[in-house]
Amino acid sequence: MSEVVNLNVNGIDIQSDSKKLLIEACEDSGIHIPRFCWHKRLDPVGMCRMCLVEIETPRGKMLVPSCTTQISDEMIVDTESDVVKKAQEGVLEFLLINHPLDCPICDKAGECPLQDQTMAYGPGESRFVEEKRHFEKPISISEIILLDRERCILCARCTRFSDEISGDPLIEFIQRGNKTEVNTFPNEPFKSYFSGNTVQICPVGALTSTSYRFKARPWDLKSTRSTCNGCPMGCSTELNSSQNKMLRILGVDNDSVNQGWLCDKGRYNFEYLNSETRIKTPLKKLNNNFEEVEMQEVYSEISELIKNENTKVNFYLGSNLTNEDFVAFREFANSISNNDNKFYLNDDVLFQGFFNEDVELGKIDDLNNSDAIVIWAEDLKERLPVLYLRVRQAVKNGVKLIVFGHTNRTLDDVAEIFYSDEVVSENFEIIKDLTKLEDFKSLIVEKNVTAIIGKSTPQQSDSSINKLFDFLNSNSNLKILNAFTKGNTYGAFQILDNLKGTKDFVNEINSENTDLLFVVAADPIGRSIYSKQVKKVFDEIKTVVSLDNFKHETSELADVIVPISSTLGEKNGTFTNIEFRTSRIDKLVPSPGQTVSDWEFITSLMNFSGLSNNSYSLEELNTKAFEDLDIELKPYFDNLDKPSNLDGIINRTTPKIATSSSDSEKVNFFIGEKLYGDSVTERNSESISLLGAKKFIEMNQETVDKFKLSSGNCLLEQDNLEINVSYTVNNILPKGTIYIPTNRRELNKFDFSKKIMITPSRVKEALNVN
Amino acid sequence: MSWDKTLLKQAGEIIELYPQKRSALGPLLHLAQSKDGYISDDSISVISELLGITEVQVKSVSTFYSMYKQEPTGKYLISVCKSISCEINNSTEVIDKVQEFTGLNNNETDEDGLFSFEAVECIGACGGAPAMQVNYETVEGINAENVFSLCSWLKESAPEVIVADEMQENFGGIKSFDWAIQDNTGATSTAPGFQTLKTSKVKK
Repeated sequence: MSEVVNLNVNGIDIQSDSKKLLIEACEDSGIHIPRFCWHKRLDPVGMCRMCLVEIETPRGKMLVPSCTTQISDEMIVDTESDVVKKAQEGVLEFLLINHPLDCPICDKAGECPLQDQTMAYGPGESRFVEEKRHFEKPISISEIILLDRERCILCARCTRFSDEISGDPLIEFIQRGNKTEVNTFPNEPFKSYFSGNTVQICPVGALTSTSYRFKARPWDLKSTRSTCNGCPMGCSTELNSSQNKMLRILGVDNDSVNQGWLCDKGRYNFEYLNSETRIKTPLKKLNNNFEEVEMQEVYSEISELIKNENTKVNFYLGSNLTNEDFVAFREFANSISNNDNKFYLNDDVLFQGFFNEDVELGKIDDLNNSDAIVIWAEDLKERLPVLYLRVRQAVKNGVKLIVFGHTNRTLDDVAEIFYSDEVVSENFEIIKDLTKLEDFKSLIVEKNVTAIIGKSTPQQSDSSINKLFDFLNSNSNLKILNAFTKGNTYGAFQILDNLKGTKDFVNEINSENTDLLFVVAADPIGRSIYSKQVKKVFDEIKTVVSLDNFKHETSELADVIVPISSTLGEKNGTFTNIEFRTSRIDKLVPSPGQTVSDWEFITSLMNFSGLSNNSYSLEELNTKAFEDLDIELKPYFDNLDKPSNLDGIINRTTPKIATSSSDSEKVNFFIGEKLYGDSVTERNSESISLLGAKKFIEMNQETVDKFKLSSGNCLLEQDNLEINVSYTVNNILPKGTIYIPTNRRELNKFDFSKKIMITPSRVKEALNVN
Repeated sequence: MSWDKTLLKQAGEIIELYPQKRSALGPLLHLAQSKDGYISDDSISVISELLGITEVQVKSVSTFYSMYKQEPTGKYLISVCKSISCEINNSTEVIDKVQEFTGLNNNETDEDGLFSFEAVECIGACGGAPAMQVNYETVEGINAENVFSLCSWLKESAPEVIVADEMQENFGGIKSFDWAIQDNTGATSTAPGFQTLKTSKVKK
């Protein structure tokens, strides 16, 4: 049990939790002890010896590393004595023996703990005249990470991160003594979704990213705190720019959300902001060609349409807008006289979720505080990467993990129970009687359970997850995290009523009920599995207005493209995450060209067409977004900007989602999205542009044999569509099930309810699937 | 997988001995050493698959300990102690003699793959200094003369099994202890001879 203990540091009495380490206890009381290897979120190792302090022991004063010393009552500590100073100087002298003096060309210089601490605690003069050790510099250990082993001081932060936190230990110490180096296994690159974090926590410039290398010096950077809008995790970030160009994103340690970590997509998927191909002026289609026009012309043309009472307007919204954008669209829709407007969210997997009043919604922190975690959702590592890290962390703290289904294979190594095809059928139905799974029952009955539940694949029936939910709800003390996986989905839930997804869009929208369609920051034709149907709808509708950053398959079908600011660093607003925590999205760089924020465009349009007399300010939209909430502290800008609320404010609401329920259907293909794909923003972000380019499918070995595949490649055919893909063996998939990642161009164009022929490449010996 | 069935079966038996798979890492590396005379990248891949850890984790351990060789070794690995007790008792002469006989520098292997030579730190036989090992089988109380005949014997009769007691009797001198038990088992490769790992054999 933890208790409060008293200790004396440098003559000052402080109090702390007995479970804490000395370095933490001092840090909490404002006494800084220099360190390299110790990191708040990693297990201590005592590698660098920089944190040596003197404590009084029965045998007199003793030097101990404060990062591996548990505090005890009446401990007397000196962090500034002459002995400590001498020790620090000595340690630094040792660390600098082999550290090259290339600070002038090092990316870390200026924000380098080794540089700073050498200034503050170092000996001031070097006695070392011998040759330093040499390595080839730098070597690339993955597509995005470079390693300079000469600069490395062997603190083991990166190797510990990859082992303890992300669970993909692909870098390790090789050799020993003065030959020790960090490296990967030959031909086994550091292919981690979280590799960018190692660059951030490296206390020297040994690990650098290709993205930021030689781009700027830290003292030239402008920075602001913001929220990542890549997935509903809403990680806290720090945006860095120089000369009005976004250059880097860092993770901010938000204890309740991301604890400092980011996934690599969140970290590097910003380079598209500076892309040459971005649309910076309004475009209008004339004779099938886009021509640049004045914004004025766009306003007047669209307002003509809106003023006409017979014009029926509908909206297809991308999920990475801010809450304020959503409000602007809501207000706009409400003010149009023909008030039967509907909102569709750019999400293939949108479903009802579990939001009833009798459901207790969970927080991310509940993962750590529960007895068991139950997961049945899309691949967390691919779709909610940082939530995946939090799940791993919870398991490390002793929480039992139960995983259902053919997804989340990457949690297999930490799961207490992993139910694959003996419990979950290839149609994603639970085929066993849950009451008879004794192991499962013993872990959840009468226990505190946090469940992460969502649809594993778009075709999964609602009833299958309801079944698991009902069982958990009636047998355990359940808290639930709904696993929706797209951007600011939860913000949309809060603000827009009767939201529907892409599937309903293609079923409901046609030329009769829609004359004017707004498509906002979405590329359903390039990314949705309903691509063909969406295209058909678009072709029917008279006027399509696209608000977007780029020309892509969808926006090219529009009649008008309005260039918009990116939610990443180019506008202010708020974001709501998976636990309904609302935090700030902040603007750092100016919007290029004539780009406008979505809310600016929509409110100006309202003004222009006379739908509203005053134009809304961002603050008004922010107020409108949350004024109906029944909570004391509302996430208004004023409140969010208070230092105590920088981590965000939780505001629970019961969203009304109007998706039609889907019945159990035969799942021919198991469809999902990988973290990296080739969406238009990814294609235009140089460092990650190739990571999601490879087209592949997955199946188990039996299925590979069934199709007589051996070369590693195969051909997928349907109607006129032929795609060469590679295949990988994934033995967690049931026999006959084929996984197809659809966030790659063309792979989403199949009709997944029909047959797809799979044949070995070149040899066209047709074999029927299903 | 580049390990044959017998080796894989043996690996399976070793893994069975431990409550956690990855605890078998050390013994499996010895096994790999006995197979190839060094830890090849192939063996690392096999071991990582058997234990469910990554290849670089195996590599990390295998490069840390100097008894896991990174380069192929000869049939006989001669390790002469250079630590203080042996040094005082003229181990330098022994080292010179071995080098003269084999023509090898420290940490080298000859071209026909017969001998590897290394000068090592304390091998725990100070009472019988100077001491040396052939494939980790210890001989104590050697000197420049009998080390020469030891090397010649190795070269000429090319024994399959190296037994410490046999070498001690024929070539050794003063011993740290007299164990009073004749032990006929010895090493069959440059991995130390362990009965559980089947890297040792009884010499008939």
